Amino acid sequence: MRRRILGLAIAVVTVAGAAGCGSSSAGTSGSSASGSGKTTQVKVGIVPIVDVAPLYLGQKKGFFSSRGIELKMESAQGGAAIIPGVVSGQFQFGFSNTTSLMIAQTKGVPVTSVANGSATTGDTTTDISGVAVKKDSPVKSAKDLAGKTVAVNTLQNIGDTTVREAVRKDGGDPSKVKFVEMPFDQMPAALDGGQVDAAWMGEPALTIAKSQGARVVASPFAETDPKLTLATFFTSTRLTKEDPDLVKKFAEAMAESLAYASAHKDEARQILTTYTKIDGDVLKNLTLPSWPAEYDMASLEKLASLGEQDGLFSDKKPDLKALFQ
Amino acid sequence: MTPSAIASVKTKPAGTGAGPGGAPGRRGPGTVTALRGLAGLAGLVAVLEALPHTGVVSADYLPPASEIGRTLWHLLAENAFWTALADTLTGWGLGLAIAVVAGVVAGVVIGSVPVLRAVTASTIEFLRPIPSVALIPVAVLLYGTDLESTLLLVVYASFWQVLVQVLAGTQDVDPVADDTARSYQLGRWGRVRYVLWPTALPYVMTGVRLASAVALVLAITAELVIGSPGLGHEIAVAQNSGAVSRVYALVLVTGLLGVAINLVARAVERRALHWHQSLRREG
Amino acid sequence: MTVLTAGRRILLLLGMPAVLFAVWWFATADSTDVYFPPLSTILRKFGEVWAGDRLTADILPSLLRLTAGYLLAVAVGVGLGLVVGMSRVVRDVLEPVLELFRAVPPPVLVPVIMLFAGIGDTMKILVIVSGCVWPILLNTVEGVRAVDEVLSDTCRSYGITGPSRLWHLVLRSASPQIVTGMRQSLSIGIILMVISEMFAASNGLGFTIVQFQRTFAIPEMWSGVLLLGLLGFVLSLLFRFAENRALAWYHGLRRAQRDT
Repeated sequence: MRRRILGLAIAVVTVAGAAGCGSSSAGTSGSSASGSGKTTQVKVGIVPIVDVAPLYLGQKKGFFSSRGIELKMESAQGGAAIIPGVVSGQFQFGFSNTTSLMIAQTKGVPVTSVANGSATTGDTTTDISGVAVKKDSPVKSAKDLAGKTVAVNTLQNIGDTTVREAVRKDGGDPSKVKFVEMPFDQMPAALDGGQVDAAWMGEPALTIAKSQGARVVASPFAETDPKLTLATFFTSTRLTKEDPDLVKKFAEAMAESLAYASAHKDEARQILTTYTKIDGDVLKNLTLPSWPAEYDMASLEKLASLGEQDGLFSDKKPDLKALFQ
Repeated sequence: MTPSAIASVKTKPAGTGAGPGGAPGRRGPGTVTALRGLAGLAGLVAVLEALPHTGVVSADYLPPASEIGRTLWHLLAENAFWTALADTLTGWGLGLAIAVVAGVVAGVVIGSVPVLRAVTASTIEFLRPIPSVALIPVAVLLYGTDLESTLLLVVYASFWQVLVQVLAGTQDVDPVADDTARSYQLGRWGRVRYVLWPTALPYVMTGVRLASAVALVLAITAELVIGSPGLGHEIAVAQNSGAVSRVYALVLVTGLLGVAINLVARAVERRALHWHQSLRREG
Repeated sequence: MTVLTAGRRILLLLGMPAVLFAVWWFATADSTDVYFPPLSTILRKFGEVWAGDRLTADILPSLLRLTAGYLLAVAVGVGLGLVVGMSRVVRDVLEPVLELFRAVPPPVLVPVIMLFAGIGDTMKILVIVSGCVWPILLNTVEGVRAVDEVLSDTCRSYGITGPSRLWHLVLRSASPQIVTGMRQSLSIGIILMVISEMFAASNGLGFTIVQFQRTFAIPEMWSGVLLLGLLGFVLSLLFRFAENRALAWYHGLRRAQRDT
C-alpha cells in the first residue's frame, strides 16, 4: 500500500495535479488465493519472441490450469517494461534474459528467478543468435570484428558481452569492437545498407537475414558456453515469501512445459503462429532454442564473470545462488 | 450588446471579396477539397510504389505500395485487427478528453488570473519537456500494461499542447474588447465567457487539433513500448516477427487514422469558429 | 498591471517549484522503494552523473543535434506554412498527406528515416525535425490564413506585392502564432531528441537516460529526467528572451492599446 501512495504522490508531483488521471484501479488482480481447487489468475510479462513458446504450449496443454493457474500473457517490448511491472506486482511473473536479471539484482531490484526459460542450442553453426555480415564482407570469423561496428539490440547486456567473448576466444581484441544499438528487426536493412559492418541478431531476424544472403560469422551464445542459460522466468522476492505455493506451482508447470516443448519441437514451432506473425519459410527454417528444465549454473557463473569483466555490475558481484532458485 | 459583437471588435468586419486563395466557385467546395486531398494521397502512393523499383531502397525493407495494400486488405479481415483498433481509439479518446478538459480548465483559470500565471509559468516550462517515454517505468509500475498506463502517457503529452495554446489565447485577448466589457460591467465570469473565450477559441481549437494528433502518437507509442493492447502492440509483434509488409500496413492505418481524426477536428473547428477571420473567406 | 520587483519576480519563478520539490523530498525521504528513491539520493547522483565528462560527451552532442533539428524545423515549418497557408489548392492537396505523416509515431518512423538517412547524426536530426515541424507548420498556416483582410486589401491597393508583401504583411501578422508554434516545438524537440537517441545511438542525453533505465540505475535515471526538465526550462527562458525582442512591436501594440 505504501508503494502505491508513494507512487501516486510522485505521479501527482510529476503531473502537477493537472492531468488528474483518476486511479480507480485499486485492486490488483490475481493475488494470493491459490488454495487447492481454486483458480488463480496469473499475469506473466513476456516479450513475444520464439523463446517463450513453451509457456504458450504449456498453457494450451493445460499444464498450468491443472495446477489452478490461469495464465494471462502481457507482452511488452523488453525488460525495461517487464521488471518494474513484476516488482510492483502488476505481473506475478516475468520473462527476462539472465544478464538483465543479474544487473537488476546488483542494483538492488528485488527479483528472483524461479523457472528456466531458454538456452543456447550449443551448436556453433546453428544457434538462436548469430553475428551476421554481408555476403561480400571481409569479415571471415569473430576475430575480424575488431575495429568493426556491430549492431546489438541492447548495449551493456548479454549481446555485447557474449560477442566480445566470441571475439576473445577467436583470438581478436574485443575492446576494439564498436557496438551500436538498434532493434533486431531493423538490423537486416542496416546491414544491407552498410550502416553497420555486422549485426548480432536473434530469431527470426537471423533467419530472415540469412535468406537475404547474409553470412553468419559467429554464434556468441554457443561459443561462450554450449549450455548457456539465456533467459528465465522470475518473480518478485516479495511474492516468493507471500505465496511460495503459487511460485512453486508455476515453477512446476513451467518445468513440465519446457520438457514437453523439448520433446515436441514441431508443436512448439506451430504455437509461434498464435502469438507472433512469423510464417512461411521463416517459420519452417528458424532455429529454436533448447528448453532444458533446469538452469545451468556453471554457464551462469561464466556469464556473470563476463559481465563483471565488461563493467556491467558497477563493482558488485551478482549473488547467483540467491538469484536463481 | 451580443457576445459576438464584442468578439468582432477584434476581427473587424471585412469585405466580402474572396481572398487570394479564395474558393474557386461556390458550388461544392467540399467536393473539390476532397478531390484535391485524394490527389495528394494518390501522389504519395505513387511515390511509395515507385521507390522500391528505383533501387533507392530494397523492397525487402520498404515494400511497394501495392504489397502494403494487399497486406492491409488481409488485415481488414482479421478480428484481432478491429479489436486492436478499438483499443487504440479508446485510449486515444479517453486520454484526449481528459487532457482537453484539464487543459482548458487549467488554461482559463491560470490565464485569467495574472498571479497564477506568474506563479505557474516556471513549473509549466519545467514539466512540459519531460518526455512521456521517460515516464514509462512509472506508468508500468503504477498500472502494469492496463489502459491506465496508456492514458497516463497520452494525457501527460497532450495536456501541455492544450494548456499552452489556451494560455497563448488568453494572452491574445484584445485589451479594447476587455475594457469595453469592463465598462459594460461584466463580471469576471462574464468576461471569461464573452471576451476571453471567443478570443481564445481559435487557439483552443488549434490546441485540440494538435493534441488529438499527439494523443494518437502517444497512444500508439505506449502500446508499442509498454505492450498494452492496441495497434501499437500489433506493430511491435509484427516488428518482432520480421513481418515488414505488415508493419507498414499497420503504420499506414495509424496514418490514415490521423487523417480521419484531423478531418473530424477540422469539421468541429469549422463549426465552432464559423465567425473567425481565418475561416470566413472560405465560405 | 502591477510592477513586479526583482525579488517578487524570483519568488514567482522559484516559489512553486520549491514547494513541489519540498513535497517530493518529504514524500520520499525514507523510501526504500527501488523505483522511487529519496530525492536526496537523486540530487546527490545529479552532481556525480552530469557534472563530469558527460557534459561534453553526452549533453553537448545532444544539444547540437537539438539545435540543428529545431532550426531546420523552423525553416521548413515556416516556409512550407507560408506556401500552404497562402494557397488553397496547395493546402487541399497536401493536408491529408501531411496529416498522414504527422500521425505516424516517431518510434515507428525512425526505421523508415534510417533507411534513407543512415544511423548517424543526420538521422537523429531528421527525427527531431519530423516531430518539431508540425506545431510550427500548423500555426504558420493558421496565422497566414488569419491575415487581416483590410490590411491585405490595403497592401494590395498600395501595390505592395511579392516578397515585400510576404515579409511586411504576411509574416508580420502571422508571427505571434508562428512564435506560439515555435514555443511548442521547443519541448517537442527535447522529447524527440530523447526518442532519436533510443535508436542506434552511442552517446547523448536520451541515450544515457535510457541506459540508466535499462540497467536499473534508477536514481541516475530520475536525475536525467530532472535534467531534461531543467533543460526545457532554460531553453524556454532563452526563448522568451528572444521572443520579447522579436515581437517587441506586438507586445508594444498590446500595451499601447491597453494604455489608451
